[in-house]
Amino acid sequence: MSILKLENISKSFGAVQALDGVNLSLDAGEVLGLMGDNGAGKSTLVKIIAGNFKQSSGSISFENQNVEFLKPMDARNKGIEVVYQDLALCDNLTAASNIFLTREITKSFGFIPILNFSKMFQRAKDIFKELKSETLPEEEVRMMSGGQRQAVAIGRTKLSQAKVVLLDEPTAAISVRQVAEVLELIKQLKKQGVAVLIISHRMPDVFAVSDRIAVLRRGKLVANKKANESSPEEVTALITGAIESA
Amino acid sequence: MKKKVKIKVSNLHEIGLLIALISVLLIFGFSTENFFTQRNFMSILRSASYVGLVAFPMTFVLITREIDISVGPAVAWSGVFFVILVKWFEFNYTFAAFIVLAWGLFLGYFIGIARTKLMIPTFITTLALWSALRGYSLFITEGRPLAISNKPFRYFFGGDVLGLPTVTWIMLMVFFIFWFLSKYTVLGTNIYAVGGNPKAARSIGLNVDKIKIITLMITSMFSALVGILFVARVSSGNSTVGEGMEFDVIAAVVVGGTALGGAVGTMTGTLLGVLFIAMISNGLIHWGIDPDLNKVVKGIIIFLAVVINSNVTFKKNSGNKEE
Ligand SMILES: Nc1ncnc2c1ncn2[C@@H]1O[C@H](COP(=O)(O)OP(=O)(O)O)[C@@H](O)[C@H]1O
Ligand SMILES: [Mg+2]
Repeated sequence: MSILKLENISKSFGAVQALDGVNLSLDAGEVLGLMGDNGAGKSTLVKIIAGNFKQSSGSISFENQNVEFLKPMDARNKGIEVVYQDLALCDNLTAASNIFLTREITKSFGFIPILNFSKMFQRAKDIFKELKSETLPEEEVRMMSGGQRQAVAIGRTKLSQAKVVLLDEPTAAISVRQVAEVLELIKQLKKQGVAVLIISHRMPDVFAVSDRIAVLRRGKLVANKKANESSPEEVTALITGAIESA
Repeated sequence: MKKKVKIKVSNLHEIGLLIALISVLLIFGFSTENFFTQRNFMSILRSASYVGLVAFPMTFVLITREIDISVGPAVAWSGVFFVILVKWFEFNYTFAAFIVLAWGLFLGYFIGIARTKLMIPTFITTLALWSALRGYSLFITEGRPLAISNKPFRYFFGGDVLGLPTVTWIMLMVFFIFWFLSKYTVLGTNIYAVGGNPKAARSIGLNVDKIKIITLMITSMFSALVGILFVARVSSGNSTVGEGMEFDVIAAVVVGGTALGGAVGTMTGTLLGVLFIAMISNGLIHWGIDPDLNKVVKGIIIFLAVVINSNVTFKKNSGNKEE
Protein backbone atom coordinates (compact mmCIF):
# COMPACT_ATOMS: atom_id res chain seq x y z
CA MET A 1 0.00 0.00 0.00
CA SER A 2 1.46 3.32 -0.93
CA ILE A 3 2.11 5.87 1.77
CA LEU A 4 2.91 8.72 -0.60
CA LYS A 5 1.32 9.19 -3.99
CA LEU A 6 2.04 11.91 -6.54
CA GLU A 7 -0.46 12.39 -9.32
CA ASN A 8 0.25 14.33 -12.46
CA ILE A 9 2.66 16.74 -10.75
CA SER A 10 3.90 19.62 -12.89
CA LYS A 11 6.02 22.57 -11.90
CA SER A 12 7.20 25.51 -13.94
CA PHE A 13 9.56 28.30 -12.99
CA GLY A 14 8.59 31.01 -15.43
CA ALA A 15 9.39 29.56 -18.83
CA VAL A 16 11.25 26.56 -17.40
CA GLN A 17 9.12 23.44 -17.14
CA ALA A 18 10.97 21.64 -14.32
CA LEU A 19 8.40 18.84 -13.92
CA ASP A 20 5.84 17.65 -16.43
CA GLY A 21 2.98 15.37 -15.34
CA VAL A 22 4.89 13.13 -12.93
CA ASN A 23 3.07 10.14 -11.40
CA LEU A 24 4.95 8.35 -8.67
CA SER A 25 4.13 6.42 -5.54
CA LEU A 26 6.13 5.20 -2.60
CA ASP A 27 5.34 2.26 -0.32
CA ALA A 28 6.19 1.90 3.34
CA GLY A 29 9.46 0.00 3.67
CA GLU A 30 10.33 0.60 0.05
CA VAL A 31 13.49 2.26 -1.30
CA LEU A 32 13.04 4.13 -4.53
CA GLY A 33 16.09 5.29 -6.46
CA LEU A 34 15.39 8.44 -8.46
CA MET A 35 17.86 9.15 -11.23
CA GLY A 36 18.28 11.72 -13.95
CA ASP A 37 20.71 14.16 -15.47
CA ASN A 38 21.50 17.55 -13.95
CA GLY A 39 18.47 19.79 -14.26
CA ALA A 40 16.10 16.85 -14.86
CA GLY A 41 13.89 18.03 -11.99
CA LYS A 42 14.86 15.65 -9.18
CA SER A 43 15.48 18.27 -6.50
CA THR A 44 12.36 20.12 -7.54
CA LEU A 45 10.31 16.97 -7.00
CA VAL A 46 11.80 16.50 -3.53
CA LYS A 47 11.14 20.12 -2.62
CA ILE A 48 7.51 19.83 -3.68
CA ILE A 49 7.03 16.75 -1.49
CA ALA A 50 8.75 18.58 1.38
CA GLY A 51 6.60 21.70 1.15
CA ASN A 52 9.37 24.01 -0.07
CA PHE A 53 7.63 24.62 -3.40
CA LYS A 54 4.00 24.38 -4.36
CA GLN A 55 3.36 22.34 -7.49
CA SER A 56 1.89 24.24 -10.45
CA SER A 57 -0.62 21.44 -10.95
CA GLY A 58 -1.31 17.91 -9.78
CA SER A 59 -2.02 16.45 -6.37
CA ILE A 60 -0.22 14.70 -3.53
CA SER A 61 -1.76 12.19 -1.19
CA PHE A 62 -0.20 10.97 2.01
CA GLU A 63 -1.59 7.90 3.78
CA ASN A 64 -4.52 7.97 1.37
CA GLN A 65 -5.44 11.53 2.18
CA ASN A 66 -5.11 14.47 -0.10
CA VAL A 67 -2.52 16.82 1.38
CA GLU A 68 -1.33 20.31 0.66
CA PHE A 69 1.99 21.30 2.18
CA LEU A 70 2.12 25.07 2.28
CA LYS A 71 5.33 25.17 4.26
CA PRO A 72 8.12 22.73 5.21
CA MET A 73 6.73 22.35 8.74
CA ASP A 74 3.49 20.90 7.34
CA ALA A 75 5.43 18.06 5.72
CA ARG A 76 7.73 17.52 8.70
CA ASN A 77 4.77 17.32 11.05
CA LYS A 78 3.37 14.47 8.93
CA GLY A 79 6.66 12.57 9.22
CA ILE A 80 8.38 13.53 5.98
CA GLU A 81 12.07 14.26 6.50
CA VAL A 82 14.47 15.55 3.89
CA VAL A 83 18.23 15.61 3.54
CA TYR A 84 18.72 18.46 1.09
CA GLN A 85 21.32 18.44 -1.63
CA ASP A 86 23.03 21.50 -0.14
CA LEU A 87 22.48 19.98 3.35
CA ALA A 88 20.72 23.12 4.64
CA LEU A 89 23.16 23.71 7.50
CA CYS A 90 23.87 26.90 9.38
CA ASP A 91 27.66 27.20 9.54
CA ASN A 92 27.59 29.47 12.59
CA LEU A 93 25.73 26.95 14.77
CA THR A 94 26.98 23.82 16.50
CA ALA A 95 26.20 20.36 15.15
CA ALA A 96 23.65 19.83 17.92
CA SER A 97 21.94 23.18 17.29
CA ASN A 98 21.68 22.32 13.60
CA ILE A 99 20.14 18.94 14.31
CA PHE A 100 17.64 20.37 16.77
CA LEU A 101 16.81 23.52 14.80
CA THR A 102 12.99 23.98 15.00
CA ARG A 103 12.83 21.01 17.45
CA GLU A 104 14.87 22.30 20.37
CA ILE A 105 14.56 20.53 23.70
CA THR A 106 13.86 23.01 26.47
CA LYS A 107 13.63 22.90 30.22
CA SER A 108 12.10 25.46 32.49
CA PHE A 109 14.16 28.03 34.30
CA GLY A 110 11.68 29.49 36.74
CA PHE A 111 8.81 30.14 34.39
CA ILE A 112 11.04 30.72 31.33
CA PRO A 113 11.77 27.89 28.87
CA ILE A 114 15.50 27.65 28.18
CA LEU A 115 17.56 25.38 25.97
CA ASN A 116 18.44 22.04 27.48
CA PHE A 117 21.98 21.77 26.13
CA SER A 118 22.96 18.66 28.03
CA LYS A 119 19.99 16.68 26.71
CA MET A 120 20.49 17.90 23.14
CA PHE A 121 24.23 17.19 23.23
CA GLN A 122 23.61 13.72 24.60
CA ARG A 123 20.97 12.89 22.00
CA ALA A 124 23.16 14.29 19.20
CA LYS A 125 26.07 12.24 20.48
CA ASP A 126 23.95 9.09 20.38
CA ILE A 127 22.81 9.89 16.85
CA PHE A 128 26.40 10.39 15.64
CA LYS A 129 27.36 7.12 17.29
CA GLU A 130 24.54 5.36 15.49
CA LEU A 131 25.73 6.91 12.24
CA LYS A 132 29.29 5.83 13.10
CA SER A 133 30.41 9.41 12.61
CA GLU A 134 33.09 11.15 14.62
CA THR A 135 31.19 14.40 14.79
CA LEU A 136 31.22 16.42 18.01
CA PRO A 137 27.81 17.83 19.00
CA GLU A 138 29.29 21.01 20.46
CA GLU A 139 31.48 21.87 17.48
CA GLU A 140 30.46 24.53 14.98
CA VAL A 141 29.55 23.15 11.58
CA ARG A 142 31.79 25.52 9.62
CA MET A 143 34.85 23.66 10.90
CA MET A 144 33.59 20.31 9.66
CA SER A 145 34.51 17.96 6.82
CA GLY A 146 32.06 16.97 4.12
CA GLY A 147 31.31 13.68 5.84
CA GLN A 148 30.63 15.31 9.20
CA ARG A 149 28.33 17.86 7.60
CA GLN A 150 26.50 15.01 5.94
CA ALA A 151 26.12 13.28 9.29
CA VAL A 152 24.58 16.42 10.79
CA ALA A 153 22.10 16.72 7.92
CA ILE A 154 21.16 13.05 8.15
CA GLY A 155 21.05 13.26 11.94
CA ARG A 156 18.03 15.54 11.68
CA THR A 157 15.98 12.75 10.15
CA LYS A 158 16.65 10.55 13.18
CA LEU A 159 15.11 12.89 15.73
CA SER A 160 11.56 11.95 15.04
CA GLN A 161 9.90 8.79 13.89
CA ALA A 162 9.88 9.63 10.19
CA LYS A 163 7.58 7.78 7.80
CA VAL A 164 9.17 9.04 4.61
CA VAL A 165 12.80 10.05 4.19
CA LEU A 166 13.95 11.86 1.06
CA LEU A 167 17.69 11.98 0.43
CA ASP A 168 18.89 14.34 -2.28
CA GLU A 169 22.41 13.32 -3.36
CA PRO A 170 23.41 12.13 0.11
CA THR A 171 26.66 10.56 -1.09
CA ALA A 172 27.89 13.28 -3.42
CA ALA A 173 30.53 14.83 -1.17
CA ILE A 174 31.73 12.03 1.09
CA SER A 175 34.35 9.30 1.30
CA VAL A 176 33.87 5.66 0.34
CA ARG A 177 33.64 4.52 3.95
CA GLN A 178 31.02 7.13 4.69
CA VAL A 179 29.05 6.13 1.62
CA ALA A 180 28.82 2.65 3.09
CA GLU A 181 27.41 4.15 6.31
CA VAL A 182 24.76 6.07 4.44
CA LEU A 183 23.74 2.97 2.50
CA GLU A 184 23.61 1.02 5.75
CA LEU A 185 21.39 3.71 7.22
CA ILE A 186 19.02 3.44 4.27
CA LYS A 187 18.75 -0.32 4.82
CA GLN A 188 17.98 0.29 8.51
CA LEU A 189 15.25 2.76 7.63
CA LYS A 190 13.77 0.24 5.22
CA LYS A 191 13.74 -2.42 7.92
CA GLN A 192 11.86 -0.04 10.20
CA GLY A 193 9.20 0.33 7.53
CA VAL A 194 10.21 3.81 6.46
CA ALA A 195 9.70 4.74 2.82
CA VAL A 196 12.94 6.10 1.33
CA LEU A 197 13.54 8.06 -1.82
CA ILE A 198 17.18 8.40 -2.74
CA ILE A 199 18.56 10.62 -5.46
CA SER A 200 22.08 9.86 -6.55
CA HIS A 201 24.34 9.93 -9.58
CA ARG A 202 26.24 6.93 -8.32
CA MET A 203 24.74 3.97 -10.15
CA PRO A 204 26.20 1.21 -7.90
CA ASP A 205 24.89 2.92 -4.74
CA VAL A 206 21.42 3.22 -6.15
CA PHE A 207 21.32 -0.39 -7.30
CA ALA A 208 22.74 -1.57 -3.97
CA VAL A 209 19.81 -0.28 -1.93
CA SER A 210 16.87 0.39 -4.22
CA ASP A 211 13.83 -1.83 -4.70
CA ARG A 212 12.64 0.30 -7.55
CA ILE A 213 14.24 2.74 -9.95
CA ALA A 214 12.61 5.78 -11.48
CA VAL A 215 14.18 7.99 -14.11
CA LEU A 216 13.42 11.65 -14.82
CA ARG A 217 14.40 13.22 -18.11
CA ARG A 218 13.70 16.92 -18.69
CA GLY A 219 10.89 16.90 -16.15
CA LYS A 220 9.18 13.78 -17.45
CA LEU A 221 9.17 10.40 -15.72
CA VAL A 222 10.49 8.03 -18.37
CA ALA A 223 10.89 4.88 -16.29
CA ASN A 224 9.57 3.42 -13.06
CA LYS A 225 10.37 -0.25 -12.60
CA LYS A 226 11.72 -2.89 -10.26
CA ALA A 227 15.47 -2.61 -9.77
CA ASN A 228 16.03 -6.30 -10.43
CA GLU A 229 14.26 -5.99 -13.78
CA SER A 230 16.52 -3.16 -14.87
CA SER A 231 20.25 -2.66 -15.17
CA PRO A 232 22.77 0.17 -14.89
CA GLU A 233 23.15 0.07 -18.68
CA GLU A 234 19.43 0.50 -19.25
CA VAL A 235 19.20 3.33 -16.69
CA THR A 236 22.14 5.13 -18.27
CA ALA A 237 20.46 4.91 -21.64
CA LEU A 238 17.21 6.23 -20.13
CA ILE A 239 18.97 9.15 -18.48
CA THR A 240 20.70 10.22 -21.69
CA GLY A 241 17.69 9.55 -23.87
CA ALA A 242 19.29 6.73 -25.86
CA ILE A 243 16.21 4.76 -24.83
CA GLU A 244 13.01 6.79 -24.94
CA SER A 245 11.26 5.07 -22.01
CA ALA A 246 10.96 1.78 -20.14
CA MET B 1 37.80 12.45 29.10
CA LYS B 2 39.63 15.73 28.92
CA LYS B 3 37.85 18.60 27.31
CA LYS B 4 39.83 20.78 24.97
CA VAL B 5 39.75 24.42 25.93
CA LYS B 6 39.18 26.37 22.77
CA ILE B 7 39.28 30.12 22.39
CA LYS B 8 36.69 31.04 19.84
CA VAL B 9 37.27 33.83 17.37
CA SER B 10 34.45 35.81 18.98
CA ASN B 11 36.22 35.58 22.35
CA LEU B 12 39.45 36.73 20.74
CA HIS B 13 37.65 39.78 19.43
CA GLU B 14 36.21 40.53 22.85
CA ILE B 15 39.57 40.16 24.56
CA GLY B 16 41.15 42.47 21.97
CA LEU B 17 38.40 44.99 22.48
CA LEU B 18 38.77 44.85 26.25
CA ILE B 19 42.49 45.58 25.89
CA ALA B 20 41.72 48.47 23.50
CA LEU B 21 39.15 49.79 25.96
CA ILE B 22 41.58 49.77 28.87
CA SER B 23 44.31 51.34 26.74
CA VAL B 24 42.02 54.16 25.66
CA LEU B 25 40.95 54.64 29.26
CA LEU B 26 44.56 54.96 30.40
CA ILE B 27 45.58 57.21 27.53
CA PHE B 28 42.76 59.66 28.17
CA GLY B 29 43.18 59.33 31.93
CA PHE B 30 46.82 60.30 31.93
CA SER B 31 46.72 62.89 29.19
CA THR B 32 43.87 65.01 30.57
CA GLU B 33 42.95 66.40 33.95
CA ASN B 34 39.28 65.75 34.31
CA PHE B 35 38.86 62.38 32.63
CA PHE B 36 39.48 60.26 35.73
CA THR B 37 36.75 61.85 37.80
CA GLN B 38 33.58 60.32 39.15
CA ARG B 39 31.56 63.03 37.46
CA ASN B 40 33.07 62.22 34.11
CA PHE B 41 32.59 58.48 34.47
CA MET B 42 28.94 59.07 35.28
CA SER B 43 28.68 61.16 32.14
CA ILE B 44 30.33 58.45 30.01
CA LEU B 45 28.08 55.79 31.52
CA ARG B 46 25.00 57.87 30.94
CA SER B 47 25.62 58.46 27.26
CA ALA B 48 26.74 54.85 26.81
CA SER B 49 23.51 53.66 28.39
CA TYR B 50 21.19 55.37 25.93
CA VAL B 51 23.21 53.92 23.05
CA GLY B 52 23.39 50.50 24.66
CA LEU B 53 19.63 50.23 25.11
CA VAL B 54 19.23 50.24 21.32
CA ALA B 55 22.54 48.55 20.51
CA PHE B 56 21.58 45.22 22.13
CA PRO B 57 18.45 44.67 20.05
CA MET B 58 20.30 46.14 17.03
CA THR B 59 22.87 43.36 17.45
CA PHE B 60 20.09 40.86 16.76
CA VAL B 61 18.95 42.86 13.73
CA LEU B 62 22.46 42.88 12.26
CA ILE B 63 22.91 39.17 12.99
CA THR B 64 19.81 38.44 10.89
CA ARG B 65 21.41 40.43 8.01
CA GLU B 66 19.13 43.46 8.38
CA ILE B 67 19.69 47.01 9.64
CA ASP B 68 17.70 49.84 11.20
CA ILE B 69 19.11 53.31 10.58
CA SER B 70 16.04 55.21 11.83
CA VAL B 71 17.13 55.14 15.49
CA GLY B 72 17.89 58.85 16.06
CA PRO B 73 14.69 60.22 14.52
CA ALA B 74 12.66 57.39 16.10
CA VAL B 75 14.05 58.43 19.49
CA ALA B 76 13.21 62.09 18.83
CA TRP B 77 9.70 61.40 17.60
CA SER B 78 8.97 59.00 20.45
CA GLY B 79 9.91 61.67 22.98
CA VAL B 80 7.84 64.30 21.22
CA PHE B 81 4.92 61.90 20.92
CA PHE B 82 5.19 61.05 24.62
CA VAL B 83 5.07 64.70 25.65
CA ILE B 84 2.20 65.42 23.28
CA LEU B 85 0.25 62.62 24.95
CA VAL B 86 0.87 63.86 28.49
CA LYS B 87 0.67 67.59 27.74
CA TRP B 88 -1.91 68.03 25.03
CA PHE B 89 -4.03 64.97 25.73
CA GLU B 90 -3.33 64.89 29.49
CA PHE B 91 -2.71 61.16 29.60
CA ASN B 92 -1.03 59.89 32.72
CA TYR B 93 2.68 59.11 32.34
CA THR B 94 2.43 55.34 32.58
CA PHE B 95 -0.34 55.11 30.05
CA ALA B 96 1.44 57.48 27.67
CA ALA B 97 4.64 55.45 27.98
CA PHE B 98 2.66 52.31 27.25
CA ILE B 99 1.24 53.85 24.07
CA VAL B 100 4.63 55.10 22.88
CA LEU B 101 6.20 51.67 23.41
CA ALA B 102 3.31 50.04 21.56
CA TRP B 103 3.84 52.56 18.79
CA GLY B 104 7.50 51.51 18.70
CA LEU B 105 6.47 47.88 18.27
CA PHE B 106 4.15 48.87 15.46
CA LEU B 107 6.92 50.83 13.74
CA GLY B 108 9.20 47.78 13.81
CA TYR B 109 6.34 45.64 12.56
CA PHE B 110 5.92 48.00 9.62
CA ILE B 111 9.65 47.83 8.77
CA GLY B 112 9.49 44.03 9.05
CA ILE B 113 6.40 43.63 6.89
CA ALA B 114 7.90 45.91 4.25
CA ARG B 115 10.99 43.70 4.29
CA THR B 116 9.36 40.28 4.30
CA LYS B 117 6.16 40.82 2.32
CA LEU B 118 7.12 43.65 -0.05
CA MET B 119 10.84 42.77 -0.28
CA ILE B 120 11.89 46.33 0.51
CA PRO B 121 15.36 46.31 2.09
CA THR B 122 15.31 47.45 5.72
CA PHE B 123 17.98 50.00 4.82
CA ILE B 124 15.56 51.74 2.46
CA THR B 125 12.50 51.66 4.73
CA THR B 126 14.46 52.94 7.70
CA LEU B 127 16.16 55.58 5.55
CA ALA B 128 12.71 56.85 4.60
CA LEU B 129 11.68 56.80 8.26
CA TRP B 130 14.90 58.56 9.21
CA SER B 131 13.81 61.52 7.15
CA ALA B 132 10.08 61.34 7.83
CA LEU B 133 10.24 60.98 11.62
CA ARG B 134 12.70 63.82 12.11
CA GLY B 135 10.77 66.02 9.72
CA TYR B 136 7.43 65.36 11.38
CA SER B 137 8.87 65.91 14.87
CA LEU B 138 10.27 69.29 13.80
CA PHE B 139 7.02 70.21 12.07
CA ILE B 140 4.68 69.38 14.93
CA THR B 141 6.84 71.06 17.60
CA GLU B 142 7.81 73.93 15.29
CA GLY B 143 11.37 73.07 16.29
CA ARG B 144 10.81 74.12 19.90
CA PRO B 145 11.12 71.90 22.94
CA LEU B 146 7.83 70.93 24.61
CA ALA B 147 8.61 71.24 28.31
CA ILE B 148 7.24 68.93 30.98
CA SER B 149 7.15 69.64 34.68
CA ASN B 150 6.64 66.27 36.42
CA LYS B 151 9.50 66.26 38.91
CA PRO B 152 9.44 62.63 40.17
CA PHE B 153 9.56 61.39 36.57
CA ARG B 154 12.43 63.72 35.65
CA TYR B 155 14.43 63.13 38.82
CA PHE B 156 14.05 59.38 38.79
CA PHE B 157 14.51 58.50 35.14
CA GLY B 158 16.78 61.45 34.33
CA GLY B 159 18.79 61.21 37.53
CA ASP B 160 20.82 58.74 39.57
CA VAL B 161 19.99 55.78 41.80
CA LEU B 162 22.40 53.98 44.13
CA GLY B 163 25.37 55.85 42.74
CA LEU B 164 24.74 55.25 39.06
CA PRO B 165 22.53 56.94 36.47
CA THR B 166 19.08 55.28 36.50
CA VAL B 167 19.39 54.72 32.79
CA THR B 168 22.60 52.75 33.40
CA TRP B 169 20.78 50.38 35.72
CA ILE B 170 18.11 49.93 33.07
CA MET B 171 20.78 49.37 30.42
CA LEU B 172 22.54 46.73 32.54
CA MET B 173 19.27 44.92 33.09
CA VAL B 174 18.48 45.01 29.39
CA PHE B 175 22.01 43.81 28.61
CA PHE B 176 21.49 40.84 30.88
CA ILE B 177 18.17 39.98 29.24
CA PHE B 178 19.65 40.12 25.74
CA TRP B 179 22.74 38.19 26.78
CA PHE B 180 20.44 35.54 28.19
CA LEU B 181 18.20 35.52 25.11
CA SER B 182 21.15 35.14 22.78
CA LYS B 183 22.73 32.26 24.67
CA TYR B 184 19.98 30.23 26.30
CA THR B 185 16.75 30.52 24.37
CA VAL B 186 15.17 29.11 21.24
CA LEU B 187 14.64 32.63 19.93
CA GLY B 188 18.35 33.37 20.26
CA THR B 189 19.35 30.22 18.38
CA ASN B 190 16.79 30.99 15.70
CA ILE B 191 18.20 34.49 15.24
CA TYR B 192 21.69 33.08 14.68
CA ALA B 193 20.25 30.42 12.35
CA VAL B 194 18.49 33.03 10.24
CA GLY B 195 21.71 35.03 9.96
CA GLY B 196 23.85 31.97 9.35
CA ASN B 197 21.89 30.53 6.46
CA PRO B 198 18.45 32.00 5.82
CA LYS B 199 17.76 29.67 2.93
CA ALA B 200 18.57 26.58 5.00
CA ALA B 201 16.63 27.85 7.99
CA ARG B 202 13.62 28.39 5.78
CA SER B 203 13.88 25.05 4.00
CA ILE B 204 13.81 23.07 7.22
CA GLY B 205 10.79 24.97 8.41
CA LEU B 206 11.96 27.93 10.46
CA ASN B 207 9.75 31.00 10.06
CA VAL B 208 12.52 33.34 8.91
CA ASP B 209 10.16 36.26 8.29
CA LYS B 210 8.72 36.06 11.78
CA ILE B 211 12.19 36.08 13.37
CA LYS B 212 13.22 39.13 11.34
CA ILE B 213 10.01 40.97 12.21
CA ILE B 214 10.45 40.21 15.92
CA THR B 215 14.01 41.59 16.03
CA LEU B 216 12.94 44.76 14.18
CA MET B 217 9.96 45.25 16.50
CA ILE B 218 12.11 44.91 19.62
CA THR B 219 14.64 47.40 18.25
CA SER B 220 12.05 50.05 17.44
CA MET B 221 10.47 49.53 20.83
CA PHE B 222 13.81 50.25 22.49
CA SER B 223 14.23 53.37 20.34
CA ALA B 224 10.85 54.45 21.71
CA LEU B 225 11.96 53.67 25.26
CA VAL B 226 15.10 55.77 24.84
CA GLY B 227 12.89 58.57 23.50
CA ILE B 228 10.92 58.52 26.75
CA LEU B 229 14.08 58.36 28.89
CA PHE B 230 15.52 61.35 27.01
CA VAL B 231 12.40 63.33 27.89
CA ALA B 232 13.14 62.69 31.56
CA ARG B 233 16.75 63.81 31.03
CA VAL B 234 16.12 67.04 29.12
CA SER B 235 12.70 67.79 30.73
CA SER B 236 11.06 68.16 27.37
CA GLY B 237 10.04 66.53 24.16
CA ASN B 238 12.67 67.71 21.77
CA SER B 239 12.66 67.18 18.03
CA THR B 240 16.43 67.60 17.78
CA VAL B 241 17.60 64.94 20.24
CA GLY B 242 19.24 61.71 19.16
CA GLU B 243 20.96 63.29 16.21
CA GLY B 244 23.46 60.79 14.79
CA MET B 245 22.45 58.22 17.37
CA GLU B 246 21.90 55.55 14.71
CA PHE B 247 25.55 56.01 13.86
CA ASP B 248 26.74 55.50 17.45
CA VAL B 249 24.51 52.47 17.86
CA ILE B 250 25.61 50.74 14.67
CA ALA B 251 29.24 51.73 15.24
CA ALA B 252 29.10 50.23 18.74
CA VAL B 253 27.61 46.99 17.46
CA VAL B 254 30.14 46.66 14.66
CA VAL B 255 33.09 47.62 16.85
CA GLY B 256 31.76 44.97 19.22
CA GLY B 257 32.40 42.32 16.61
CA THR B 258 29.04 41.85 14.93
CA ALA B 259 29.44 41.32 11.20
CA LEU B 260 27.42 43.59 8.93
CA GLY B 261 26.90 40.50 6.79
CA GLY B 262 25.13 38.81 9.68
CA ALA B 263 25.54 35.46 11.46
CA VAL B 264 28.17 36.64 13.94
CA GLY B 265 27.94 38.82 17.02
CA THR B 266 27.68 38.72 20.78
CA MET B 267 26.03 40.88 23.42
CA THR B 268 29.21 41.15 25.49
CA GLY B 269 31.00 42.41 22.36
CA THR B 270 28.29 45.01 21.86
CA LEU B 271 28.51 46.12 25.50
CA LEU B 272 32.25 46.64 25.10
CA GLY B 273 31.67 48.43 21.78
CA VAL B 274 29.16 50.77 23.42
CA LEU B 275 31.60 51.66 26.20
CA PHE B 276 34.41 52.10 23.69
CA ILE B 277 32.47 54.53 21.49
CA ALA B 278 31.22 56.51 24.51
CA MET B 279 34.71 56.74 25.95
CA ILE B 280 36.24 57.92 22.69
CA SER B 281 33.58 60.61 22.21
CA ASN B 282 34.09 61.81 25.75
CA GLY B 283 37.88 61.65 25.72
CA LEU B 284 38.16 63.63 22.50
CA ILE B 285 36.12 66.41 24.08
CA HIS B 286 38.58 66.42 26.98
CA TRP B 287 41.41 66.72 24.52
CA GLY B 288 39.69 69.86 23.30
CA ILE B 289 39.04 68.45 19.87
CA ASP B 290 36.28 70.15 17.94
CA PRO B 291 32.98 68.17 18.12
CA ASP B 292 32.84 68.19 14.33
CA LEU B 293 36.25 66.53 14.16
CA ASN B 294 34.99 64.09 16.79
CA LYS B 295 32.66 62.80 14.10
CA VAL B 296 35.58 62.36 11.73
CA VAL B 297 37.39 60.24 14.32
CA LYS B 298 34.29 58.12 14.90
CA GLY B 299 33.98 57.64 11.16
CA ILE B 300 37.55 56.37 11.00
CA ILE B 301 36.93 54.04 13.94
CA ILE B 302 33.89 52.39 12.41
CA PHE B 303 35.76 52.00 9.13
CA LEU B 304 38.71 50.35 10.86
CA ALA B 305 36.37 48.16 12.89
CA VAL B 306 34.76 46.86 9.73
CA VAL B 307 38.17 46.23 8.16
CA ILE B 308 39.29 44.28 11.23
CA ASN B 309 35.95 42.47 11.37
CA SER B 310 36.06 41.37 7.80
CA ASN B 311 39.59 40.06 8.20
CA VAL B 312 39.39 38.50 11.63
CA THR B 313 35.80 37.56 12.07
CA PHE B 314 33.93 37.36 8.85
CA LYS B 315 36.08 34.96 6.91
CA LYS B 316 36.55 32.46 9.68
CA ASN B 317 33.41 32.83 11.67
CA SER B 318 30.59 33.80 9.39
CA GLY B 319 27.61 31.92 8.18
CA ASN B 320 26.96 30.54 4.74
CA LYS B 321 27.28 33.08 1.99
CA GLU B 322 24.14 32.42 0.02
CA GLU B 323 20.87 34.18 0.75
N1 LIG C 1 14.01 28.03 -7.54
C1 LIG C 1 14.13 27.88 -8.87
N2 LIG C 1 13.86 28.93 -9.69
C2 LIG C 1 13.93 28.80 -11.01
N3 LIG C 1 14.30 27.68 -11.66
C3 LIG C 1 14.58 26.61 -10.90
C4 LIG C 1 14.52 26.65 -9.49
N4 LIG C 1 14.86 25.42 -9.01
C5 LIG C 1 15.12 24.66 -10.08
N5 LIG C 1 14.96 25.36 -11.23
C6 LIG C 1 15.12 24.83 -12.58
O1 LIG C 1 14.36 23.65 -12.70
C7 LIG C 1 15.07 22.67 -13.43
C8 LIG C 1 15.23 21.42 -12.59
O2 LIG C 1 16.14 21.67 -11.53
P1 LIG C 1 16.45 20.64 -10.37
O3 LIG C 1 15.17 20.11 -9.85
O4 LIG C 1 17.36 21.30 -9.40
O5 LIG C 1 17.22 19.49 -11.17
P2 LIG C 1 18.09 18.28 -10.63
O6 LIG C 1 17.99 18.23 -9.15
O7 LIG C 1 17.51 17.09 -11.28
O8 LIG C 1 19.50 18.52 -11.06
C9 LIG C 1 16.39 23.29 -13.84
O9 LIG C 1 16.24 23.81 -15.16
C10 LIG C 1 16.56 24.42 -12.85
O10 LIG C 1 17.30 25.47 -13.43
MG1 LIG D 1 19.42 18.40 -7.66
